[in-house]
Amino acid sequence: MGKTMKESIVIDGLSKYYNGFLALDNLSLKVKVNEDVALLGPNGAGKSTTFKILCGLLNPSSGTVYINNIDVVKERERAISNVGAILETPEFYPFFTPKETLSYLGKLRGMQERELSSRIKEVIKLVGLERWINVKIEKFSRGMKQRLALAQALLHDPPILILDEPSLGLDPRGMIEIREILKEARKEKTVFFASHLLTEVTQICKKVAILDHGKLRAYDDIARLKKKYRSFERAYLKLTEGAI
Amino acid sequence: MSEFEKLKIVTRYELLKQFRRKRFYGALAITLLAVILTIGLYQGLDLPRRIGVPQSIINQHGAEIFAIFVTSMGALAVLAAVFFAGDAIASEFEGKTGYILFPNPVKRITIVVGKYLACFIATAAILIVAYLISATAVLAFYRQVPVGILGSLAITLMLACFMISMAFAFSSVLKGGMGATIATLLTYMVVFSVISMSLSYAGYNPWFMPDRAGDSMTATYGIPFENVFGGMMGGGRMTSGVMQASQDPTLGFLVLLVWAVILFSVSIWMTKRREMV
Repeated sequence: MGKTMKESIVIDGLSKYYNGFLALDNLSLKVKVNEDVALLGPNGAGKSTTFKILCGLLNPSSGTVYINNIDVVKERERAISNVGAILETPEFYPFFTPKETLSYLGKLRGMQERELSSRIKEVIKLVGLERWINVKIEKFSRGMKQRLALAQALLHDPPILILDEPSLGLDPRGMIEIREILKEARKEKTVFFASHLLTEVTQICKKVAILDHGKLRAYDDIARLKKKYRSFERAYLKLTEGAI
Repeated sequence: MSEFEKLKIVTRYELLKQFRRKRFYGALAITLLAVILTIGLYQGLDLPRRIGVPQSIINQHGAEIFAIFVTSMGALAVLAAVFFAGDAIASEFEGKTGYILFPNPVKRITIVVGKYLACFIATAAILIVAYLISATAVLAFYRQVPVGILGSLAITLMLACFMISMAFAFSSVLKGGMGATIATLLTYMVVFSVISMSLSYAGYNPWFMPDRAGDSMTATYGIPFENVFGGMMGGGRMTSGVMQASQDPTLGFLVLLVWAVILFSVSIWMTKRREMV
């Protein structure tokens, strides 16, 4: 599969085995610059595996992945400097405050002190954690950690966001707020995210990739899938038939 | 930004983590208690005479004998190092903090080296405080501080390096930090001890074993160790192998260094290969 700078993410013939179990089966897809794509599928479909390979946390059994034209396997650090990510249900060092955590991550991403300081305030405000900025994370709920996870993903203003269930563990208000942040972010960023909430997907994205048992079942516009299967829910159910 | 700059950042924040944990202060408190107790018991019970150190050696080397007692900090070095290092790598996987740390433009080797330096600095801080108290006590009681105390400190710090390396090696392959901590302690205190003792009984000098190399921290004061501690060893029947192993501090230091480098390299290699499943 060819790749150009018009694509933020290129996944080409990607397969991943876990001790003989095939979790991803020859997955290929492209996400264009500033496109917003949702990765859908039942539990165990291969969504998290795809994201982890994109962020260099797993090695592919075969195939290649490119971020902004950079091979993730060969040049992991350079490739992921373009990415802000939330993977699985991330945890933070409990003895640090959000300010210290973001300061640590920002510095690792090459941000300068002055820029970093104002950006930390900005993203903390964006995710609604101003009152908690100097409180140790050990006191945080799951939802607050999820907000902080989004803050760290946005911290260095990356052109690409890879988000694995970003609203997991949030209360309804939190979900709405995160959705609004992502709607705003997609105007100038490539957003590739996974979710189990079909309504959330339709609100944030125009395009979906549906995975089942590691295989890509569909990669199309939501509008087209709605038309073909009469509703988005029907499309999802039909394309993931046989899943547990 | 260079990897060296990133290394400084990782080390700084890993060190901050260590200083925020209760275990640092717990280890510091235990160390201080142990040192003060050793000083008090040595003086209060007149230990050298009770264990049969000849009067002529006490008269000639009183300060050195006292220093040997109060700076025998092998166990403290082992425990402090394992406390800090056992979960250093495993916890990133077990506690899922790796999902935040690893997807950053920083090499795994930089993260491991930064963690290692932080663990070493935390351990060294505790050991140096203990040595300072000991040196002050020697000075107060004998009006002199034997130069050998510096050699003893160097070997103790190298023993800490070795223990951190071994803890890192286990931490890079095992699922949990607790498992890595226990595996490290058991390997050092049981497996290595059994091997060293067996070799000694068989008449071989286990100079290459890290536990025996660590013992050489008591041999830096330039006095005949066997004469001082012969009375403790049941008539000296088993002492020959033990004494040979702890005779040469330079060799002990080098043995620990080689073990530390090998195990640390293993931990880096394993961590680089380890996947966040």
